[in-house]
Amino acid sequence: MSQPLRVVHFVNQFFAGIGGEDQAHVGVSVRDGVVGPGRALQQALGADAQVVATIVCGDNFMSERPDEALAEIGSALSRLRPDALVAGPAFGSGRYGLACAHVCRRAQQQGIPAATAMHPENPGATSFRREVVILPTGESAVSMQSDLARVARMALRLARKEELGPAELEGHLPQGKRRSHDRGRPGWQRALDMLSAKLAGRPFTTEVPYNAPEQVRPAPPLADLTRATIAMVTTGGLVRKGNPERQSAANAVRYHRHAVTSLESLTPEEWEAFHAGYFNHIVNKNPNYILPLSFLRELETDGRVGRVHEHIYALPGVSTPVATARELGRAIAEDLKHAGVDGALLVAT
Amino acid sequence: MISAIYNFALTTGANRVVRGARIEHVCGDPSLGPEKDHAYGMRIVTTALEALTTRVASPTLFDPLAPGPAREAVHAS
Repeated sequence: MSQPLRVVHFVNQFFAGIGGEDQAHVGVSVRDGVVGPGRALQQALGADAQVVATIVCGDNFMSERPDEALAEIGSALSRLRPDALVAGPAFGSGRYGLACAHVCRRAQQQGIPAATAMHPENPGATSFRREVVILPTGESAVSMQSDLARVARMALRLARKEELGPAELEGHLPQGKRRSHDRGRPGWQRALDMLSAKLAGRPFTTEVPYNAPEQVRPAPPLADLTRATIAMVTTGGLVRKGNPERQSAANAVRYHRHAVTSLESLTPEEWEAFHAGYFNHIVNKNPNYILPLSFLRELETDGRVGRVHEHIYALPGVSTPVATARELGRAIAEDLKHAGVDGALLVAT
Repeated sequence: MISAIYNFALTTGANRVVRGARIEHVCGDPSLGPEKDHAYGMRIVTTALEALTTRVASPTLFDPLAPGPAREAVHAS
């Protein structure tokens, strides 16, 4: 192979030097050769590959008009016919990270191997790590040089159609792929090796990594319930009868807010559950089992609770990726905070 | 958070967890008959409100069925 491999680089408006947030609306453009961090990418690729073009797109353009942006990028890639695409690195930037992941996915759909890099908590990584080869970076661009060197190595391997080994060895974020592989020693021996290493205080690498849940600092207690506004949220998939808002039965991508100011209770004539994760028939006879409006109204009338919040919140809490659930939870919490709610009861089925 | 699978809520980091009845009927139990069902549901909801007024430092279970002070610190590590 005397001809150098052809690499196309994708960057956003900021790294292309067009501008920051004020220029995030700019559409797709294609430049010859390297732009911005592309220079360091070219250096890292060396003589084996050449950055033949750079595709630029504004973060907002991509997040607001993804179909249009990706169609343009797709036809540019068909024209350029690269051996590999490199996107980013996007570091901790959420919209840019999502854009990089989308562009990589588009390239792969067209048969072009692709790699990107970003912080593991970037929504681009949490949403697309299974589909796209993503190398982990820090949150900021200080490590640009070394990150680009790693992406360049990965891009070269992918461009040469080399098969990747396990993520823990290759260094990219695990994609959840399982392949038969001989580790040399049987499982019980490896387990005992790990146990003795642990007991002796020696380092060892687990074969079943544990994803520790996020620690949230507990909210301070309410001082006086009789003056507090209390809201209710359910993951039980509560919908208006007949599901007119077409809530999904699983894998929620949005939450539903309903006004209950005029209601004393949730009646089965007006409400029901639509949730793929449990038998809904009992809730369909008494929806207050998953959203206890009737009880809270009684306590409000007795003066034991200050006020029941005017809206209730519902979604089906089943098969939802943690990243999505976290965003939905954050959005509901923001809405409650904005409305001056003091406390919330979350009923989880 | 009111949940029948309260252990799951505790180990995934919810700070104030109230033990619900069953997955299919978290705030009450229709098999008890209307009166006892209502009392049980009310006990669950008032326990949840009590949880909101209680200071906690880590995931803590509030059990509506437990006699006396209805809480127990659970260290989910």
